[in-house]
Amino acid sequence: MIHTTTFDNGFTIIRPGAARLTAANAKTFKDEVTDIINGGANRVVIDFKNVSFLDSSGLGALVGVLKKVGHRGELVVSGLNSDVQQMFRICRMDRVFTVYKDVETATQSMAEFQ
Amino acid sequence: MTALPLLQTPSPGLKIIVAEDSDLQRLYLCSLITGLGFQAIEAKDGATALDLLARTGAEIVISDLDMPHLDGVALTRKIRALELDQYVHVIMVTGADDVAMRDKALRAGVDDFISKGSSTALLKARLQTAVRLINHAGELADRTRIIKATNDRIQQDLRAAAAAQRALLPDLHDDIMGFRVASAFVPSAIVSGDMFGCFALNDRKLGLYAVDVSGHGVHASLLSVAIGYLITPDYFRTHAFDAQGEPDLARMVTALNDRFSASENDAYFTMICCVIDRVTGRLDFCQAGYPAAVYVDQAGCAVPLGDGGFPVGMFRSATYENNVHQIKTGAALVICSDAAAEAENPAQEIFGTARVRDIARTFPERGVDDIPHAIVRALNVWRNGEPLEDDLTVVALERKNTHDTHHNI
Repeated sequence: MIHTTTFDNGFTIIRPGAARLTAANAKTFKDEVTDIINGGANRVVIDFKNVSFLDSSGLGALVGVLKKVGHRGELVVSGLNSDVQQMFRICRMDRVFTVYKDVETATQSMAEFQ
Repeated sequence: MTALPLLQTPSPGLKIIVAEDSDLQRLYLCSLITGLGFQAIEAKDGATALDLLARTGAEIVISDLDMPHLDGVALTRKIRALELDQYVHVIMVTGADDVAMRDKALRAGVDDFISKGSSTALLKARLQTAVRLINHAGELADRTRIIKATNDRIQQDLRAAAAAQRALLPDLHDDIMGFRVASAFVPSAIVSGDMFGCFALNDRKLGLYAVDVSGHGVHASLLSVAIGYLITPDYFRTHAFDAQGEPDLARMVTALNDRFSASENDAYFTMICCVIDRVTGRLDFCQAGYPAAVYVDQAGCAVPLGDGGFPVGMFRSATYENNVHQIKTGAALVICSDAAAEAENPAQEIFGTARVRDIARTFPERGVDDIPHAIVRALNVWRNGEPLEDDLTVVALERKNTHDTHHNI
């Protein structure tokens, strides 16, 4: 369900291929992202530009992949809409994830801190 | 759970109705069929065949095309219209290769044809095909029956589990220590991942909590029930106060986080827990990823309380904060799970926290008792009657005027 783009400079951009990341597809999302991480991707941007809704299971899956990356690399998120941002704020996920407004800002910033 | 045994598959010996108006032809067919090990049942016309079919439970009909009263095609139509439990395999006996007639017969529901005067070998082959199809249909029917029985049992188990879960939830339409408390609980599946409780901790303090386990359905409900059994008034008394006896809800949430961070899976829960002093109206609370409680005063001014907090069981290192607010006499507190704010209408707009707050704001006119169900009703309209996708809990609490209750000092 995810679309992945890998760049020469080591960035992997992941876009969930569904407008809603919920209990219905959270496990598939987590499994597919985990495969990519296990495949060696360690500078990952998960772009939520096309995701309108994230429920508690979706958030659980996202935290699951963040834990999977752990100290082996960096996983950031981008493109959160205002509803998802609100959820991040209530759950303090804005203190756990580095959040960028879009993929370009995310990759630029990550490249600078290389 | 034991598997139901498959019914014995039908074998040759099964009943075949022979509908044929010519005595000679009928007797001839019946003797052939009996010789092949089937049980032949004679019918001298279509109407008799139909009557015998209903009474004998036969699964094969061999019918002549031309018969008085009810011809072969009309008989087939009547058989199909009966919608019997068993499938009836209809073989039509025809005089010649009449394509137009065969088309008509197929449309009426005939399965196969044999020509008059066909060899025994051909009849045997046709009947073997019929037996194969009947066996196959029988196996399918058995599987369907087993799946239905298993499903019925799972549903029954779930309903029993839901009843046990409901029994854990307080029936909040009551006065507790000078607080008027009302609630609504709407599971999205039969069982729910939500849990809440409200109880006296001592003669001055009221304890209140609501929990929302991530995900929903059976998995979430198991955890929510475990939490329901864990968070008792005693648990509050031993975990939600500091050494000086002052409310310290962050301490309780930290204890729960330690306990539930051990699991390797992604399960976690959000919660809000409160201690309210009935004499001073002081509200101590800790918000752990649960939507902010809404405070509504007597003038209908509504404000969300708290600015969030980590969910429980997600990060072992998470820290939690204590918050304090004053509940004035006659004011109310509304706690509502995220199922309300996240509910989408047919145009996929979410209900949002502002609409929840707008309903909370109507508390002075409506009274606290009607707030939970007003939210349920509004969501029902918002979703155009479609059930919610997540479990909904609403608890509303009013600090009553002190002279309203004999409990006050």
